[in-house]
Amino acid sequence: MNPPSSLEELVQALRCLPGVGPKAAQRMTLHLLQHDPAGGTRLAEALKKALSNIRHCEQCNTFTESALCALCASGKRDPALLCVVETPADLLMIEQTQAYSGLYFVLMGRLSPLDGVGPKDIHVERLLRRAGDGVVREVVLATNFTVEGEATAHHLGELLRARGLAVSRLARGVPVGGELEYVDSGTLAQALRDRRVV
Amino acid sequence: MAVSTRVADRPGFILHSYPYSETSLLVEAFTREHGRMPLIAKGAKRPQSAWRGVLLAFQPLLLSWSGRGDVKTLTGAEWQGGLPMLGGRALACGFYLNELLLKLLAREDAHPGLFDTYRAALDGLAGAADQAACLRRFELRLLSELGYGLSLTHEAESAQPLDPGSRYHYVFERGPMPYSVHGDVARYPEVSGQTLLAMAHEEFANAAVKAEAKALFRALINRMLDRQVLHSRQLLRDLQAFDEPSL
Ligand SMILES: [Zn+2]
Repeated sequence: MNPPSSLEELVQALRCLPGVGPKAAQRMTLHLLQHDPAGGTRLAEALKKALSNIRHCEQCNTFTESALCALCASGKRDPALLCVVETPADLLMIEQTQAYSGLYFVLMGRLSPLDGVGPKDIHVERLLRRAGDGVVREVVLATNFTVEGEATAHHLGELLRARGLAVSRLARGVPVGGELEYVDSGTLAQALRDRRVV
Repeated sequence: MAVSTRVADRPGFILHSYPYSETSLLVEAFTREHGRMPLIAKGAKRPQSAWRGVLLAFQPLLLSWSGRGDVKTLTGAEWQGGLPMLGGRALACGFYLNELLLKLLAREDAHPGLFDTYRAALDGLAGAADQAACLRRFELRLLSELGYGLSLTHEAESAQPLDPGSRYHYVFERGPMPYSVHGDVARYPEVSGQTLLAMAHEEFANAAVKAEAKALFRALINRMLDRQVLHSRQLLRDLQAFDEPSL
């Protein structure tokens, strides 16, 4: 027995969502059709609108609905400081700290040679143009402390330094409030290697 | 039905991790006694997972797993320490080693000698050692572990000892043949007797040897890869653009 093809198509389409397997996709599809067709219409319209309206900020590359995102347009940030992050979620985390007053650049990824992700895939050319605007003085590399994040930071660091910019990297070590007894060995080993004079 | 296995605390490295589900990772491990093996790390993507700071590439681990079938479940990973995290250029070299192992090593084919070579290469890269020499030594031993050992002291057909002052072509799967401008042999990579003899002693300090050995390994490895691309090679090449001209 063949199910109607548009039903099957919707099940397949829903599977692009993280954590949604074939069973869950089928449940969602039948739920929308059977119990909430109005919700389904709203979802379809919101999705369509978001996908056509949301684009990348011309300056920092994060998601926005206008040419410049609110942060880049604000005029209250220090334009000499540029912080490079992997994702918009990382940008929001740093904003939450209220410890940073500069602007951002969002790579939308990280170098991962083993996955075939190279400099072209993380907008390196755009970052170099952005950082080379003559106003930026220091670039803070805030990519993750994974091997891919480190490789990305090193690669960008070389390129930015070659253009005469000051480059810094987030410090890594024992977390605030961390008791040594409960810190994982890798972090502790790195904190010892990165120890500083006080 | 496949027999269920349970293996505890075996030395291993993580070569690479892939997302497997919303919360789990598929980890490609390289273990000393069981070779390269895929392991599911359940829950490793959860924010509070104890494996977050442990399942890192280039760090010596003790791995435990259990299960039946081709893909086992990781049940333990203990950080061994003793190897600084690779940074900078050494990290790009490390990716290259991992990509070679991922693409050339069959799964569950034990190579304890190669494992020790890999560990030694990471030690060299983490220290101040000559990175290019580390890579060439690894490539040489990788080829011989995989059954493609090179003949580096005598000519292929005549069995004459190599002359350091002469030039040769390295004919795949046969060995060095006297230099020739035409004929079948001329299609193969060109290399000096001096370089081949230095390679036989794993001596890569000399700049000319380094350059020729690099080109020869590149040709040999490309052939083994059978048109698969080595992405980490491009990253190494990009980074070389920052070398001082004298290097
Ligand atoms: Zn912006």
